[in-house]
Amino acid sequence: MASGVTVSDICKTTYEEIKKDKKHRYVIFFIKDERQIDVEEIGSRDEEYDSFLQKLQAGGAGECRYGLFDFEYMHQCQGTSESSKKQKLFLMSWCPDTAKVKKKMLYSSSFDALKKSLVGVQKYIQATDLSEASQEAVEEKLRSTDRQ
Amino acid sequence: MSGGMLYGGDEIGALVFDPGHHSLRVGYAQEDTPKAEIPAVVGVASDDVKTEPEIKPEENNVSSTPSSNKYYIDTTFLHLPKPNMELHSYMKDGMIENWDLFEQILDYSYEKIIQSESHFHPVLFSESPWNQRQKREKLTELMFEKYKVPAFFLVKNAALAAFANGRATALVIDSGATHTSAVPVLDGYVITNAVVKSPLGGDLLVLRAREMLESIGVDLTPAALIASKEVIREKEKPKFTKKKFNFQPTNSWMTYMVKRTVQDFQQTVLQVSENPYDEKVAMNIPAVQYEFPTGYHQDFGPERFKLAEGLFDHPMLGAGYIASTSAGMCDVDIRPALYSSVVLTGGNSLVQGFSDRLSRDLSSRTPGSMRLKMIAANGTVERRFGAWVGGSILASIGTFQQMWVSAQEYQECGKAQIDRKCP
Repeated sequence: MASGVTVSDICKTTYEEIKKDKKHRYVIFFIKDERQIDVEEIGSRDEEYDSFLQKLQAGGAGECRYGLFDFEYMHQCQGTSESSKKQKLFLMSWCPDTAKVKKKMLYSSSFDALKKSLVGVQKYIQATDLSEASQEAVEEKLRSTDRQ
Repeated sequence: MSGGMLYGGDEIGALVFDPGHHSLRVGYAQEDTPKAEIPAVVGVASDDVKTEPEIKPEENNVSSTPSSNKYYIDTTFLHLPKPNMELHSYMKDGMIENWDLFEQILDYSYEKIIQSESHFHPVLFSESPWNQRQKREKLTELMFEKYKVPAFFLVKNAALAAFANGRATALVIDSGATHTSAVPVLDGYVITNAVVKSPLGGDLLVLRAREMLESIGVDLTPAALIASKEVIREKEKPKFTKKKFNFQPTNSWMTYMVKRTVQDFQQTVLQVSENPYDEKVAMNIPAVQYEFPTGYHQDFGPERFKLAEGLFDHPMLGAGYIASTSAGMCDVDIRPALYSSVVLTGGNSLVQGFSDRLSRDLSSRTPGSMRLKMIAANGTVERRFGAWVGGSILASIGTFQQMWVSAQEYQECGKAQIDRKCP
């Protein structure tokens, strides 16, 4: 069941830039005129997670967004003495509880279309409040699939 | 996308129907609430016994059919007793069972509520997750052949409720009149083989409440039969006079009206305790007063909790249990996503304390590694009409227009098209 919203080509090219060339840290997507998913904001490589969260909520409490973030963290495998840096891409749908039902509906029913066109994302996260979108919560989710 | 854009644009005035056991919700897409909520029972008065009633019902209130049956639909007509009027429900197990009666309801909806021709409006129907293929096709056929709708779509009500709460993946707990179900939704698709349902719903509460009230000798005469009543003191014998009818209301009518009376009692008085029922704790919570249509009133204390406990204390069918069973039947990979978005919907979930208790029961069953998050809309309307509201928005989204099954497609491919386009 999908809403029929399409994904613009810019989304895909920007995604390739972040996945292959590591040109950006994050991308914020939005749905333009209820028809097409488009790129709203691109974060440069040196930006922090907090600025991603800020941009995600830039539209105010009543707006929904999608966010793609190239997350880095240190991971230590069991039995090894050194920890290694890991990079994981995650795609987040941000639908705050305060958003209008119509927005929530539009974004949640179109999330599938975006998922399908951005191939190779490691983790999908649905967030409705900051407790699910915070750096700690996200890191916990990404780590949950790592080997200990 | 064939033919989809013919009636494209946003100004299409689609209609949304959400049939349930308690009522059928009807209205225009894009609106916040349904235009009408029609009780899911139809009064049928057969004229076999030719006892012409003195008060002949006004002709325009009654949709007459070639057969000599008279049908009475909607609260106003149902609540007035009529000779030989038997009430029937057209739903069974969350699916439409009696198509003749259902057609009557649809006729009524178009004529009185929508007040427009059916061939102008695309129609979106919600259905239960376990709806059968044959019934879906029958509904499609009915809508295209009889009502000549330009386009039609069927969506699982659980998916609509999940969308309306901002989730494409969710575990939807739908507590309605006849049953409570746990339905996992993944990316907007219902995982049909992991649906778990239990017959513990609002009707069960009504049944238990009725037994309890009758056992303490409360007169449950419905308001429709009472002409006048006097103010009396608490627990005093009610003094009221009955309306005079020169016929005996039918049994099915009495049962239905008593049920409505008890339903009101259930909605105002019952409460689910946060922890498993304990007489001592329940004794300490202030009682609630309730006045019955007869004028009789008294305080209800521990009974409030004891009755509602029935929804949760069953070891196999309690709401918490079916939710965790349903999640357990899904793939391990999606379980964390399901537990982190449990969506609560359905009119029966409005019993006070329902969501608190469910989240308590569920959190004790949630695996340690997963986080539990329950999403329950606060408003009464969003909860009762969750699926309708979802359908209303979905049908009004501009890009959704290409998803409809159009009349042209139906002509070309037949009724099986519904199975292809609406999962």
